[in-house]
Amino acid sequence: MTAKPLAVLPVMARPPARSAAGDWGLWDAPKRIFTPRVLYGLLLAFGLCVLAGEAYAQFGGQPRLGVLATMQKWLPLILFGPPGEIGGFTLNILVSFLTMAIGTVTGVVLGVMQVSQGLIVRRIAWAVTQFFRNSPWLVLLFFAILLLPYRIQLPGGFVVPFPDWIKAVVGLALPIMGNISEVTRGAINSIPTGQWESSESLAFSRAQTFRLIILPQCLKRMLPPWMNWYAILTMATTLISIVGVSDSMTLTQQALAAEGGRGELLIPMYLLLLLLFFIYCYPIARWTQVLERRFAIIT
Amino acid sequence: MESLAEWLRSLYTDYGINLVQFYDEFERARLLRGMWITIKLSVVSIAASIVIGIIGAWLQTSNYRVLRSVTQGYIQFFRNTPPLVQMYFFYFALSPLLPRVATDYGTQQPLLSSFAWAAISLSFFAGAFNVEIFRSGIEAVPRTMTEAASALGYTQMQVYRYVVFPLALRIVIPALTNNVVNLLKTTTLAYAIAVPETLFMASQIWSDRVNVLEMMITLFVFYIGLVGLLVWAMDRWEKSLRIPGYGQ
Amino acid sequence: MTYKSALKILLVAAATLGWLTGLARADTIEDIKKKGTLVVGVKADYPPYGMRDPSGEIVGMEVDMAKDVAQRLGVKLQLEPVVASNRMQFLQQGKTDLMIATMSVNDERKKAVGIVEPYYYAGGVALLAAKSAKIKTGADLKGKPVCAIQGAFYNNEISSKMTGQDLIAFKGVPENEQALQNGQCVGFAYDDVLLIYTKKANADKWKDFEVVQLDIAPLPWGIAVKSEDKDTPWGKFMSDIVTDWHKKGTLVALEKKWLGENTQWLIDANAKAK
Repeated sequence: MTAKPLAVLPVMARPPARSAAGDWGLWDAPKRIFTPRVLYGLLLAFGLCVLAGEAYAQFGGQPRLGVLATMQKWLPLILFGPPGEIGGFTLNILVSFLTMAIGTVTGVVLGVMQVSQGLIVRRIAWAVTQFFRNSPWLVLLFFAILLLPYRIQLPGGFVVPFPDWIKAVVGLALPIMGNISEVTRGAINSIPTGQWESSESLAFSRAQTFRLIILPQCLKRMLPPWMNWYAILTMATTLISIVGVSDSMTLTQQALAAEGGRGELLIPMYLLLLLLFFIYCYPIARWTQVLERRFAIIT
Repeated sequence: MESLAEWLRSLYTDYGINLVQFYDEFERARLLRGMWITIKLSVVSIAASIVIGIIGAWLQTSNYRVLRSVTQGYIQFFRNTPPLVQMYFFYFALSPLLPRVATDYGTQQPLLSSFAWAAISLSFFAGAFNVEIFRSGIEAVPRTMTEAASALGYTQMQVYRYVVFPLALRIVIPALTNNVVNLLKTTTLAYAIAVPETLFMASQIWSDRVNVLEMMITLFVFYIGLVGLLVWAMDRWEKSLRIPGYGQ
Repeated sequence: MTYKSALKILLVAAATLGWLTGLARADTIEDIKKKGTLVVGVKADYPPYGMRDPSGEIVGMEVDMAKDVAQRLGVKLQLEPVVASNRMQFLQQGKTDLMIATMSVNDERKKAVGIVEPYYYAGGVALLAAKSAKIKTGADLKGKPVCAIQGAFYNNEISSKMTGQDLIAFKGVPENEQALQNGQCVGFAYDDVLLIYTKKANADKWKDFEVVQLDIAPLPWGIAVKSEDKDTPWGKFMSDIVTDWHKKGTLVALEKKWLGENTQWLIDANAKAK
């Protein structure tokens, strides 16, 4: 590196100047979040398939609604779900937000428990983390859907309803909890021991150390892997279609069935679904990489 | 064995713990078949995805921009779209495009079975991650090594094969283990395209016999056991590859 | 507090709770009337018994039956779409009060939920098979791939007695139809009434396929209530309704309305009830 760091901080104050030789190696770090090249390529392939389908619909058989028109007809349903309820792609996003929220909170708690001073707490937290990290997501989802009650009766007569998609949120939050717990533990362990020692010498209690010193520093380190897990989770929300929730995947299949299973619609409709997710997840992935470079640790 | 079956059956009649997948021969055979398919699918996908990873990482160092772009496009596409939708896309949308083979009972059947499509889809999915992993491993090899090898008269290909790749492999084993474990867990997605793997068989059993909780526990034990086995195997492999004094 | 007294208090509390919950479950029919709504689990992807019409509403033969029950009770009707894998669980958890969801009756299901007798319907099993495969009976299926719905009651029988290998089971009808069209299986095993309806409604799409009856004894379909409710006023109320439907010919009329023709089993049941 040609530029000297300003000060030895655990997190870089600003990215160092890049030398002309390209210190990042064979592949340059993204300069912006949106690099359109791949997106254009995908849109081109998509457009070609749509054109082929249109040609077939118009010339190869009785006149039917063209491919583009069909996709236009079904797009609102796939994006927003049946009228009067949340479904479709919106449901996927909503589930991803809720799941990430619940999974993060429980995951951080579990991660902190993993570095606790009590042996039993550490062991239990470790076991729970490993269990949820290493179980297949679909099995955990089935577990939540089939074995959770449909409503909870709290003392005092208050009843909490538990619709299917909320159960799916719980089911998906379990593996996220395990993974965020690992991320947290890794971040806590990467804080230099000097921080712990100084805070101890300044008479901070363990809880205060965590709250005021360790965790704020961890947040920056946790952000790129956290965003990575968010992208993985968003893509995993399609699993809820297998257990019967009306998300974008189910609605795409139902749309295809309602159109009579026409052959030329298969590729465009599935590509449309893939494109929807791509448009949502690709910027997140790029932003994660930008953050990763910016928050890289000087060791 | 008979007494064990009897004891398990008595658990059901006396305590309501329905472990029919162990004492009933038909169900046990089904479940074991499913487990075998899971293992086969995992092994095939892991092997193919590692091969794709190596080839992709090599293509990314190519001098031709087209190759680099195509590889990059492949990676971004498979990393940023849901694996379930990819699998459906391969099985339902791409399968009709391939030529059909005549069966011996008068129908036309697609060229590739659902197992094959699941394996292809999973390999491409995990392969995209593996390309990134191998690329980061290759980058982590100090340039001095490549320069020294060049100075000794190795060609590009030889440098890659004898110097860079072995070192890169040792560097990436933790990340590779992670990815391989993920692939094992992702094989459960094949349930959606009717590959008769463990989850599929388990769901058949619990639909027929209404013993969801017991089947769930069996599934957890199986998958976590398999993951543990895989992690142990990768760990042993890593230890056997250790170069003394390098990266310890 | 000593250990013994704590234990005593705990036991009394547990007993009270148990008694209270027992009380609470005593009268489902009163609960429904008090609630003012009857929640019925029905299918939404199984024409013509339960399906979605273009506006998104669930309609069908079983929906009409549910409407009749709600009318007799004098309450509003709320339909809850279910699938084979969750229809019994919803009933057990109390999410639905009643289930009319094309459920065929077998011993295990009788243990899980309370199935109302007399049964209201019976469905046989048929195969939507490729004409080129020349399937005439179940025995012709030996060694051939057959598609089915996950969790169907006849899957076991078909795979063990007819094909000798595992079935290709998907979770929904669209995937099965797609796989059949692609040639991934030689036939799609499903409810005979439904296959006849499908073939008639999409004659052009299915012109290379035919409906072959499979020699599987038609299993009767049953309406279900929670297993604790089977012998309570609620269970008896439902039992009386079904008997009344058979006697008055309501079911025969509904079947004619939704299917266009009448199946033999229903005609026989109607004649027997008169």
